[in-house]
Amino acid sequence: LFDGRTVKWFDGSRGFFIERRNKTSYDDIMAGTSRKQNRTKAASQQMDEVQPAINYGIDVSVLVQNMARSHTERIMRHQIALNTAEQLRKAKPS
Amino acid sequence: VSSDFFNLLERLVGGGVDFVIVGGFAGIVHGCSYVTQDIDICCSFTSANLLALQKALSDIHPVHRQTANRKKLELTKDNSIEYKNLYLDTDIGQLDCLSFIDGIGDYHEVKKASEAIRVEDMELHVLNLDALIIAKKAMNRTRDKETILQLEAIKKLKNEKP
Repeated sequence: LFDGRTVKWFDGSRGFFIERRNKTSYDDIMAGTSRKQNRTKAASQQMDEVQPAINYGIDVSVLVQNMARSHTERIMRHQIALNTAEQLRKAKPS
Repeated sequence: VSSDFFNLLERLVGGGVDFVIVGGFAGIVHGCSYVTQDIDICCSFTSANLLALQKALSDIHPVHRQTANRKKLELTKDNSIEYKNLYLDTDIGQLDCLSFIDGIGDYHEVKKASEAIRVEDMELHVLNLDALIIAKKAMNRTRDKETILQLEAIKKLKNEKP
Protein backbone atom coordinates (compact mmCIF):
# COMPACT_ATOMS: atom_id res chain seq x y z
CA LEU A 1 0.00 0.00 0.00
CA PHE A 2 1.48 3.33 -1.07
CA ASP A 3 0.55 6.58 0.57
CA GLY A 4 2.72 9.42 -0.73
CA ARG A 5 6.14 8.88 0.82
CA THR A 6 4.95 6.08 3.07
CA VAL A 7 4.90 2.42 2.08
CA LYS A 8 2.79 0.03 4.16
CA TRP A 9 2.56 -3.71 3.80
CA PHE A 10 1.14 -6.57 5.85
CA ASP A 11 3.73 -8.92 7.35
CA GLY A 12 1.84 -12.21 7.53
CA SER A 13 4.44 -13.99 9.68
CA ARG A 14 4.31 -11.28 12.35
CA GLY A 15 0.61 -10.55 11.94
CA PHE A 16 0.86 -6.74 11.67
CA PHE A 17 1.35 -3.89 9.22
CA ILE A 18 4.85 -2.56 8.62
CA GLU A 19 5.24 1.08 7.65
CA ARG A 20 8.32 2.50 5.96
CA ARG A 21 8.94 6.12 5.04
CA ASN A 22 10.68 6.48 1.71
CA LYS A 23 12.99 9.27 0.59
CA THR A 24 11.21 9.29 -2.74
CA SER A 25 7.53 9.76 -3.27
CA TYR A 26 5.24 7.23 -4.83
CA ASP A 27 5.19 9.30 -8.02
CA ASP A 28 8.97 9.38 -8.08
CA ILE A 29 9.17 5.64 -7.65
CA MET A 30 6.64 4.98 -10.37
CA ALA A 31 8.22 7.46 -12.74
CA GLY A 32 11.64 5.97 -12.11
CA THR A 33 13.20 9.31 -11.21
CA SER A 34 14.86 8.76 -7.88
CA ARG A 35 17.66 11.13 -6.87
CA LYS A 36 20.25 8.54 -7.81
CA GLN A 37 18.73 8.18 -11.25
CA ASN A 38 18.66 11.96 -11.64
CA ARG A 39 22.34 12.13 -10.82
CA THR A 40 23.12 9.36 -13.30
CA LYS A 41 21.03 11.13 -15.92
CA ALA A 42 22.83 14.44 -15.32
CA ALA A 43 26.24 12.76 -15.50
CA SER A 44 25.24 11.02 -18.70
CA GLN A 45 23.97 14.30 -20.20
CA GLN A 46 27.21 15.99 -19.16
CA MET A 47 29.21 13.28 -20.90
CA ASP A 48 27.12 13.76 -24.06
CA GLU A 49 27.89 17.47 -24.10
CA VAL A 50 31.64 17.02 -23.77
CA GLN A 51 31.66 14.09 -26.20
CA PRO A 52 33.28 16.13 -29.03
CA ALA A 53 36.25 16.82 -26.73
CA ILE A 54 36.44 13.15 -25.69
CA ASN A 55 36.27 12.04 -29.32
CA TYR A 56 39.17 14.37 -30.10
CA GLY A 57 41.23 12.62 -27.44
CA ILE A 58 41.01 15.22 -24.69
CA ASP A 59 41.11 13.78 -21.17
CA VAL A 60 38.08 15.56 -19.72
CA SER A 61 38.90 14.30 -16.23
CA VAL A 62 42.00 16.54 -16.27
CA LEU A 63 39.79 19.53 -17.09
CA VAL A 64 37.47 18.62 -14.23
CA GLN A 65 40.46 18.43 -11.87
CA ASN A 66 41.76 21.79 -13.12
CA MET A 67 38.38 23.42 -12.58
CA ALA A 68 38.46 22.30 -8.97
CA ARG A 69 41.74 24.20 -8.51
CA SER A 70 42.20 27.89 -7.78
CA HIS A 71 43.50 30.24 -10.49
CA THR A 72 46.81 30.44 -8.64
CA GLU A 73 47.14 26.65 -8.58
CA ARG A 74 46.35 26.43 -12.30
CA ILE A 75 49.05 28.99 -13.12
CA MET A 76 51.60 27.36 -10.81
CA ARG A 77 50.95 23.87 -12.16
CA HIS A 78 51.25 25.15 -15.72
CA GLN A 79 54.59 26.76 -14.81
CA ILE A 80 55.88 23.47 -13.41
CA ALA A 81 54.80 21.64 -16.59
CA LEU A 82 56.43 24.28 -18.79
CA ASN A 83 59.68 24.25 -16.82
CA THR A 84 59.79 20.46 -17.03
CA ALA A 85 59.22 20.59 -20.79
CA GLU A 86 61.97 23.21 -21.16
CA GLN A 87 64.40 21.11 -19.12
CA LEU A 88 63.64 18.01 -21.18
CA ARG A 89 64.15 19.99 -24.37
CA LYS A 90 67.57 21.13 -23.17
CA ALA A 91 68.59 17.69 -21.96
CA LYS A 92 71.51 16.05 -23.73
CA PRO A 93 72.02 12.31 -24.17
CA SER A 94 74.01 10.87 -21.25
CA VAL B 1 66.82 30.66 -19.00
CA SER B 2 63.59 29.29 -17.54
CA SER B 3 60.39 31.19 -18.00
CA ASP B 4 58.55 32.57 -15.03
CA PHE B 5 55.13 33.77 -16.08
CA PHE B 6 54.08 34.53 -12.53
CA ASN B 7 57.00 36.92 -12.18
CA LEU B 8 56.21 38.47 -15.57
CA LEU B 9 52.61 39.13 -14.51
CA GLU B 10 53.76 40.52 -11.17
CA ARG B 11 55.99 43.01 -12.98
CA LEU B 12 53.17 44.17 -15.24
CA VAL B 13 50.74 44.59 -12.36
CA GLY B 14 53.41 46.22 -10.17
CA GLY B 15 54.31 48.58 -13.01
CA GLY B 16 50.71 49.73 -13.36
CA VAL B 17 50.33 48.36 -16.90
CA ASP B 18 46.73 48.26 -18.06
CA PHE B 19 46.26 44.82 -19.66
CA VAL B 20 44.03 41.77 -20.07
CA ILE B 21 45.37 38.22 -20.34
CA VAL B 22 44.18 36.67 -23.60
CA GLY B 23 45.16 33.73 -25.82
CA GLY B 24 46.49 30.39 -24.67
CA PHE B 25 47.43 31.57 -21.20
CA ALA B 26 43.87 32.78 -20.62
CA GLY B 27 42.85 29.19 -21.45
CA ILE B 28 45.22 27.95 -18.73
CA VAL B 29 43.60 30.30 -16.25
CA HIS B 30 40.19 28.89 -17.21
CA GLY B 31 41.41 25.30 -16.68
CA CYS B 32 42.81 24.06 -20.01
CA SER B 33 45.34 21.26 -19.76
CA TYR B 34 47.87 22.17 -22.47
CA VAL B 35 51.18 23.99 -22.00
CA THR B 36 51.85 27.33 -23.66
CA GLN B 37 55.22 28.98 -24.10
CA ASP B 38 54.19 32.60 -24.01
CA ILE B 39 51.76 35.01 -22.45
CA ASP B 40 49.49 36.99 -24.72
CA ILE B 41 48.09 40.21 -23.38
CA CYS B 42 45.84 42.78 -24.92
CA CYS B 43 46.77 46.22 -23.67
CA SER B 44 46.13 49.83 -24.22
CA PHE B 45 48.61 51.04 -26.82
CA THR B 46 48.79 54.56 -25.48
CA SER B 47 52.31 55.90 -25.04
CA ALA B 48 51.87 56.08 -21.30
CA ASN B 49 50.85 52.42 -21.03
CA LEU B 50 53.57 51.17 -23.38
CA LEU B 51 56.21 53.16 -21.54
CA ALA B 52 54.95 51.70 -18.27
CA LEU B 53 55.26 48.25 -19.83
CA GLN B 54 58.80 48.96 -20.98
CA LYS B 55 59.75 50.17 -17.51
CA ALA B 56 58.20 47.11 -15.87
CA LEU B 57 60.32 44.84 -18.07
CA SER B 58 63.47 46.96 -18.15
CA ASP B 59 65.71 44.70 -16.04
CA ILE B 60 64.73 41.46 -17.83
CA HIS B 61 66.07 42.65 -21.20
CA PRO B 62 63.02 42.80 -23.48
CA VAL B 63 63.76 42.40 -27.20
CA HIS B 64 61.60 42.27 -30.32
CA ARG B 65 61.49 38.51 -30.81
CA GLN B 66 60.61 38.55 -34.49
CA THR B 67 63.25 40.98 -35.72
CA ALA B 68 66.32 39.52 -37.37
CA ASN B 69 68.79 40.74 -34.74
CA ARG B 70 66.37 40.62 -31.79
CA LYS B 71 66.26 44.38 -31.54
CA LYS B 72 66.15 45.81 -28.05
CA LEU B 73 62.82 47.28 -26.94
CA GLU B 74 63.41 51.00 -27.03
CA LEU B 75 60.12 52.80 -26.87
CA THR B 76 59.84 56.53 -26.69
CA LYS B 77 56.84 58.76 -26.38
CA ASP B 78 57.03 59.39 -30.13
CA ASN B 79 57.75 55.94 -31.56
CA SER B 80 55.42 54.03 -29.24
CA ILE B 81 52.35 55.19 -31.15
CA GLU B 82 53.63 53.44 -34.29
CA TYR B 83 53.10 49.96 -32.86
CA LYS B 84 49.99 47.83 -33.11
CA ASN B 85 51.50 44.68 -31.60
CA LEU B 86 54.72 43.85 -29.75
CA TYR B 87 56.19 40.35 -29.87
CA LEU B 88 58.72 40.33 -27.08
CA ASP B 89 61.18 37.95 -25.52
CA THR B 90 62.59 38.57 -22.07
CA ASP B 91 64.91 36.76 -19.67
CA ILE B 92 61.87 35.14 -18.04
CA GLY B 93 59.62 34.37 -20.98
CA GLN B 94 57.90 35.50 -24.12
CA LEU B 95 55.26 38.20 -24.00
CA ASP B 96 53.00 39.14 -26.88
CA CYS B 97 51.23 42.47 -26.52
CA LEU B 98 48.27 42.97 -28.81
CA SER B 99 46.14 46.03 -29.38
CA PHE B 100 43.25 44.19 -31.03
CA ILE B 101 41.68 40.76 -30.64
CA ASP B 102 39.87 39.17 -33.59
CA GLY B 103 36.20 38.60 -32.85
CA ILE B 104 36.23 40.94 -29.84
CA GLY B 105 37.77 44.28 -30.80
CA ASP B 106 40.18 46.78 -29.35
CA TYR B 107 41.46 47.00 -25.80
CA HIS B 108 38.32 48.66 -24.48
CA GLU B 109 36.12 45.91 -25.89
CA VAL B 110 38.50 43.26 -24.57
CA LYS B 111 38.47 44.82 -21.11
CA LYS B 112 34.67 44.80 -21.15
CA ALA B 113 34.75 41.08 -22.02
CA SER B 114 37.18 40.28 -19.22
CA GLU B 115 36.77 39.05 -15.69
CA ALA B 116 38.87 39.99 -12.69
CA ILE B 117 40.60 37.17 -10.86
CA ARG B 118 42.79 37.21 -7.80
CA VAL B 119 46.12 35.41 -7.93
CA GLU B 120 47.82 35.68 -4.57
CA ASP B 121 47.85 39.43 -3.94
CA MET B 122 47.43 40.46 -7.58
CA GLU B 123 44.23 41.34 -9.35
CA LEU B 124 44.42 40.21 -12.95
CA HIS B 125 41.98 40.68 -15.79
CA VAL B 126 41.44 37.66 -18.02
CA LEU B 127 39.32 37.42 -21.15
CA ASN B 128 36.18 35.57 -20.08
CA LEU B 129 35.45 32.07 -21.31
CA ASP B 130 32.78 33.01 -23.87
CA ALA B 131 34.91 35.79 -25.36
CA LEU B 132 37.96 33.55 -25.48
CA ILE B 133 36.01 30.93 -27.44
CA ILE B 134 34.79 33.64 -29.85
CA ALA B 135 38.34 34.98 -30.26
CA LYS B 136 39.84 31.54 -30.88
CA LYS B 137 37.13 30.72 -33.42
CA ALA B 138 37.58 34.09 -35.15
CA MET B 139 41.25 33.33 -35.78
CA ASN B 140 40.22 30.15 -37.60
CA ARG B 141 43.56 28.40 -37.07
CA THR B 142 43.82 24.63 -37.30
CA ARG B 143 46.12 24.54 -34.27
CA ASP B 144 43.40 26.11 -32.10
CA LYS B 145 40.97 23.23 -32.63
CA GLU B 146 41.97 21.42 -29.45
CA THR B 147 41.94 24.65 -27.45
CA ILE B 148 38.40 25.43 -28.61
CA LEU B 149 37.22 21.91 -27.74
CA GLN B 150 38.79 22.19 -24.29
CA LEU B 151 37.25 25.62 -23.69
CA GLU B 152 33.82 24.43 -24.84
CA ALA B 153 34.07 21.36 -22.61
CA ILE B 154 35.02 23.60 -19.65
CA LYS B 155 32.05 25.85 -20.39
CA LYS B 156 29.68 22.88 -20.43
CA LEU B 157 31.17 21.39 -17.28
CA LYS B 158 30.87 24.80 -15.58
CA ASN B 159 27.23 25.12 -16.60
CA GLU B 160 26.47 21.67 -15.28
CA LYS B 161 28.08 22.41 -11.95
CA PRO B 162 25.36 22.33 -9.25
